Amino acid sequence: MSAALCHHCQLPLSGPGQTREIYGKSHCFCCYGCCLAFQVSHGEREEPEAVGLLIRLGVGAFLTMNIMLFSLLIYSGTFGSEEQGLVQAIHFVLWGLATPLLFILGQPFFAGAWRAARGGGVTADSLVSLGTLSAYGYSVQQTISGGVAVYFDTVAMVLVLFTLGRYLEAIGRVKAMRSLTPMLAAERARVVVVEDGHDIEQSVQAITSGTIVRVRPGERLPVDGVVIEGCSECDEAVLTGQSEPQAKQPGISVFAGSVNGMGELLIRTTQAGAATRWGQIGQLVRDALDRKGLAGLFVDRVAAVFVPAVLILAAGTVLFWGGRGPLDQALMAGLAVLVVACPCALGLAAPLATAIGLGQAAQRGVLIRSGGVFERLARIQGVAFDKTGTLTTGEMRLQGVVKHAVAEDELLAVAAALARCSDHPVGRGIATAARARGLALPDAHDLALRPGEGVVGEIGGVSAAMGSATLMKSLCWLDPAGVTAGSSAAPKGCSSVYVGWGGTIHGQLLLSDDPATEARSVVAALGKMGLDTCLLSGDTSAAVAWIAGVVGIERWRESLSPTDKVDALRHWARRQGPVAMVGDGMNDGPVLAAAAVGIAVGTATDLARESADIVLPKHALARLPWTIELARRVRKTIATNIAWALGYNLAALALAAAGLLQPIAAAGLMAGSSLLVTVNSLRLCRASISRPSPASNEIEAPSPVAVAGERMKREKTAPRVVRIGS
Amino acid sequence: MTYYFIILAAGFAGSFHCVGMCGGFACALGRDPAGRMATVERHLLYNTGRLATYCFIGALAGTLGQGLVGQALPGSLATGQRVLALTAGGLMIVMGLQFFGHLQGVHRLVTGFGGNSMVVSLRNLIVAPGRSAPVALGVVNGWLPCPLVYAFAAQAASTADTLQGFLTMLAFGLGTYPAMLMMGAGGQILRPAWRRRGVWIAGAFLLVLGAITVARGVIPFAGHGAMM
Repeated sequence: MSAALCHHCQLPLSGPGQTREIYGKSHCFCCYGCCLAFQVSHGEREEPEAVGLLIRLGVGAFLTMNIMLFSLLIYSGTFGSEEQGLVQAIHFVLWGLATPLLFILGQPFFAGAWRAARGGGVTADSLVSLGTLSAYGYSVQQTISGGVAVYFDTVAMVLVLFTLGRYLEAIGRVKAMRSLTPMLAAERARVVVVEDGHDIEQSVQAITSGTIVRVRPGERLPVDGVVIEGCSECDEAVLTGQSEPQAKQPGISVFAGSVNGMGELLIRTTQAGAATRWGQIGQLVRDALDRKGLAGLFVDRVAAVFVPAVLILAAGTVLFWGGRGPLDQALMAGLAVLVVACPCALGLAAPLATAIGLGQAAQRGVLIRSGGVFERLARIQGVAFDKTGTLTTGEMRLQGVVKHAVAEDELLAVAAALARCSDHPVGRGIATAARARGLALPDAHDLALRPGEGVVGEIGGVSAAMGSATLMKSLCWLDPAGVTAGSSAAPKGCSSVYVGWGGTIHGQLLLSDDPATEARSVVAALGKMGLDTCLLSGDTSAAVAWIAGVVGIERWRESLSPTDKVDALRHWARRQGPVAMVGDGMNDGPVLAAAAVGIAVGTATDLARESADIVLPKHALARLPWTIELARRVRKTIATNIAWALGYNLAALALAAAGLLQPIAAAGLMAGSSLLVTVNSLRLCRASISRPSPASNEIEAPSPVAVAGERMKREKTAPRVVRIGS
Repeated sequence: MTYYFIILAAGFAGSFHCVGMCGGFACALGRDPAGRMATVERHLLYNTGRLATYCFIGALAGTLGQGLVGQALPGSLATGQRVLALTAGGLMIVMGLQFFGHLQGVHRLVTGFGGNSMVVSLRNLIVAPGRSAPVALGVVNGWLPCPLVYAFAAQAASTADTLQGFLTMLAFGLGTYPAMLMMGAGGQILRPAWRRRGVWIAGAFLLVLGAITVARGVIPFAGHGAMM
């Protein structure tokens, strides 16, 4: 029989089985259990912190389930009135089980409460400690005195559920850390120093001003300095946001963090290795992240109000009953108030909703650094964007050809043949266009790269050139159509490349860095969600204004340095309220960290990813509105969860204050509220089914050519808007 | 008493299904470098953790059944229990049929829930050293979506009594003990053909047990005899 086998248990599949993609490979299983088991035995593991918490939780759950089992037997009336001796014995068993539980699961909460108390504060830890210790103390007293009201199951439930919440938080954090491994490379970069004609490798920290450093083609520059030998083009986009590589020759300044082009450079450093702009940007990022980490958590804020209120209520109860009966009974009633004060559902209220939200996001490739991000993202009032690589693709595309007495394909083929020696985005764009047309490229010889100007060479024995107007002017070639004189100036947002051979300029290629296909619809969707948008770029005024017009952003700032961006964002946020920043470049690191929520797009540099709270997958800017919508839903769920949890506890508190609380009522209320919180959180899974359809990634955008031509006119047709979860 | 022996036997037969799935965990838990006794201890702890979860599920299901019978249909305990028995029996038959490859859609409906976080959890526990990790592994393992456990939990609920529910799952859990312990003690996973037969045996037991439970719902007094 050649039936397919289950990939885990190796049993033949009787039906179609379940096909799942796990770690990038497709596997077939006979049942869901096998699918789980397979994943357990294959794949990565978590950090020790989360594992430790899990073991603690597992052992705690073992004890708790035993406690619950015996409690259920008592509650369900299994033992008749003649078996009271047995019930008393079970109370001692429960005590025996609850004591190690209090040490194993309670210890982190007690430590946290103690830390908070020494600082004069009250947190959720204080609430847990107060509730569990009261319940434990009360129950021990009852057990010894032969009473019936033991709350060991309450102790167990509170501790297990809060620990489960902590564990969910921990695995979320671990996952985020793994995905956003710190990669602030500036401090760890290695440098090749030239000393007495020898190359020596050193750490960037050891570099002083005036050192000679060699940078090979394609390498990232580790130092700031001035070129003393060699010609190349450096891509400074990650540093300045300028999309075009900058020409570098002797005497020109270069900056750490930029990427060297095709030529080798010898650089004399002008700064110590630790004091470069790159290093300073890294420092800015860390400072901003540290500040952001201090924001308090929702649950702690609730606890800060709730704990004093409960203490007052407990004191009031003791006073009230003290005046009407024996003091020990009054004290027990007061203690009962504290017992039910701790809403165990509160432990799950935020972590469960957050964990589900993080899972939903992760399924769509959106990485979120921590649960707190949802809270901040839900509150933002505006979104600021970087231009290059964020709203644009970062790739140059051929938009048009202006020719003079030659075929368009011939012009393009010559340009592409010359472009072979350049790694400039313009050259790549031309090569891509030629490939797309299936052109056969002529052989080019003696190619010479003129940094910042273009390429010259020889094709079929005739000298040929491709490059800027400056290059053409320096060659003094004929310009019969007057293209370089501006008679056919490039549309805004387009770069011109002139192509000529045999002493004549034959035409001009127009290229532009396209707006990302989904950019316009994303901006429109954000507008519909009531969010304002803004464009902050390091690029020139013309390019920024053009892109802003194309994607529909009305507010923009251009020529901003990384620090300027931070200032511009803070200025905007003062008027607008909390704002998010979307960026990708190294120059965006500080501003991403300074924003209420920093969002890096998938192609982002390490620094941008490190600084961001959220990383969107590659080419998936379209998921931004969905992510914001998800955050809003998570926040709403947490708020309702907390309301439910507290509502249930208020009912229990009223019973306790009235001296009517029975252990079964306390357990029932706690279980009920936890169940409600769980169900309410799970609604997030269901609601997220209405996620952005795959088609929304290919949202219709105005054709770049049409845009270049009609950029001044605002398109009347509304672009298709990303559908967001309802 | 006979009833619990039937459950124990059903658990034992069903454990051939466990060997296919959870057996993987037992094998992965492996041997303790500290020697044979340490290995046995490790696996006893793991299985005790699993048993604790089953017992808790049983008591919970029994209590829920008791609550349903007592509250949903007040004053007519017999009718309530009959409805419960019919439901549980039907569910067991459905699960039993799945073991023969039928009703896969239902299977997905029942088990496609919350598994991913458990996966990561289990993966970590298998390799963690110390005595606590196997207990924790057993506890989490017990909560894994498993048609067999669901079937017996339904059976426990149909008893409509906390103690009986607990005992039902205890008997089931003890029934799965030998096979799982054997797996841990270095036993090789049975060959697919044998395991397939094992799954059929498990399915057949479920069908028979489901039929008995349904019968208990239809002819209440006949079923009660078996409980004694």
